Amino acid sequence: MSLRRKLKPWCWCVPAVLLILIIIVFPIIYTGYISLTNMNLYHWQDYEVIGLGNYARALFKFDSGFLSALGTTLLWTVLNMVIQLALGFLIALGLNAPKLKLSRLYKTLLMVPWAMPAYISILLWRVGMFNTELGLLNKWITALGFEKVDFLATNGIAFVSCLVLNLWMALPFMISTIDGALQSVDRSLYESATLDGAGFWTRTWKITIPSIRPVIAPAAVMTTFITFKQFDIIYLLTQQRGYMTGATLNTVITYVHQNAFVSNNYGLSSAVSMLLFVIIIIFSLATNRSLRED
Amino acid sequence: MKRKTKERIGYIALNLAFILLCLVTLIPIYYAVNVSFSGPGSSLSGDFSFLPEDPSLENYRAILFDEPFLLWLKNSLLLSVGTVAIAMLCAVTAAYACSRWRFKGRRPLLMALLVLNAFPQVLSLFAYYRILRLAGLLNSHIGLMLIYAGSMCVFAVWNMKGYFDSIPVEIEEASKIDGANDAQMIWRIVLPLAKPAIVVTCVMVLITVWNEYLFATTFLLNSDYYSLSAGLYQLQSNDYTRSWPLFTAASILASIPLLLIFFKIQKYMVSGLTAGGVKG
Repeated sequence: MSLRRKLKPWCWCVPAVLLILIIIVFPIIYTGYISLTNMNLYHWQDYEVIGLGNYARALFKFDSGFLSALGTTLLWTVLNMVIQLALGFLIALGLNAPKLKLSRLYKTLLMVPWAMPAYISILLWRVGMFNTELGLLNKWITALGFEKVDFLATNGIAFVSCLVLNLWMALPFMISTIDGALQSVDRSLYESATLDGAGFWTRTWKITIPSIRPVIAPAAVMTTFITFKQFDIIYLLTQQRGYMTGATLNTVITYVHQNAFVSNNYGLSSAVSMLLFVIIIIFSLATNRSLRED
Repeated sequence: MKRKTKERIGYIALNLAFILLCLVTLIPIYYAVNVSFSGPGSSLSGDFSFLPEDPSLENYRAILFDEPFLLWLKNSLLLSVGTVAIAMLCAVTAAYACSRWRFKGRRPLLMALLVLNAFPQVLSLFAYYRILRLAGLLNSHIGLMLIYAGSMCVFAVWNMKGYFDSIPVEIEEASKIDGANDAQMIWRIVLPLAKPAIVVTCVMVLITVWNEYLFATTFLLNSDYYSLSAGLYQLQSNDYTRSWPLFTAASILASIPLLLIFFKIQKYMVSGLTAGGVKG
């Protein structure tokens, strides 16, 4: 009887655990195995285990491109998070101005990019905004009498284009989270602070930010992960098969994809996958712990 | 009096700022809508006008009837429904067990799911490719469905566990005392109470599958099997200068259902996403 009681919860978990083991865990283990081999286009079947060579190549050979991709990814994540938090906070503050009558309308309109399917947004921006012939930005630039700009041609400008698009897509979530947090702040705190002679910025700095911090923290951590893992924007804008735009911008995830499906370095690609997996495990365990203690 | 004028000017400036912000936000979409309604006579490289020149529904007719749009739609529906069925059948019982019972290995299991949820599936794309190839499941909906269901199952367990936690356990204990067994209790008490949670989780799984293009274009080799997202991807990657108006029409058609669903369940999206701490 007691054994049955002990086993019952696991029986209920069996379908999910089996599905996840086969579909999620096994491919990760298989990726780990590939990372130890010299599998590439010429060694599709007759590959052999070569040990940690791929890891050494990724980490210690600068021309493998992994370290620079990691640098790009870190810069991308930090810039995105700083701008998103700052802009999201400012916009949400504006939306919460007490006498802004149309704030509900503005809020709804600002949420639209979040509701759009991500790949459709990216593809619409690719042609509709950034393209040199059909893109609106270039139509406006030429209308003003300037020369056309290819927004995806070189790394610097492509990075900025991707950043702008990511902000467009990700800000609604930030705004809505911060807006929700702002509405939960106790109004009476503001009133007593005003009586004590605190101005708008003092109130924001001393009351608003400390009170919304615990609500924003999990959302910010989640967004950091999503931004770090962002693949679609850079892939769809600059490196679709047959439509490489000239920019050689890579984040770690696009680096893995490119090495697997374009340059066919399956071993190296898998090694980088495993490295990223370790990084992600460490970060998610670390942030989870710090969140719980809050 | 002077303070009031100052405040009024402040609000006018704020309103202007928001109107500008909304315009910037909506212009890419508005432009696409505009192009989608433009007739064949309008010049593609012409200047931006706020109303479509020579408005017509030609692009919509062409995408619906000249391109395999309806076939892709059918494939997408098939894939999403299949994925939701597999993922939810597996996830509901596990989420319930993890929410209600404290058993040995529960915390490690939940932690493992959390870590796996943070792992981007793109990273094992190549491994999937080889496995599907060996298993003969390339170019089939079953293989793709299983892959989607696996990752969605991880998400659904965490998401629904959060909701189950918020259902008071007393109701179930009362039904136990009344002599209901586990299956009856789940069927009669828990599922009806958890219906909103299950519906929202299903919808979120549905949206994810609906919007997935990378796995679909990598594993489906024959465009007859393409889902809507893979089809749209192919449409723009073939020759986008020619198909741009068609693509905008297809984008609008594919986005409208999602926009409607989104604004219906928006308030659950936030709570669901942040329920397990680190998600994504």
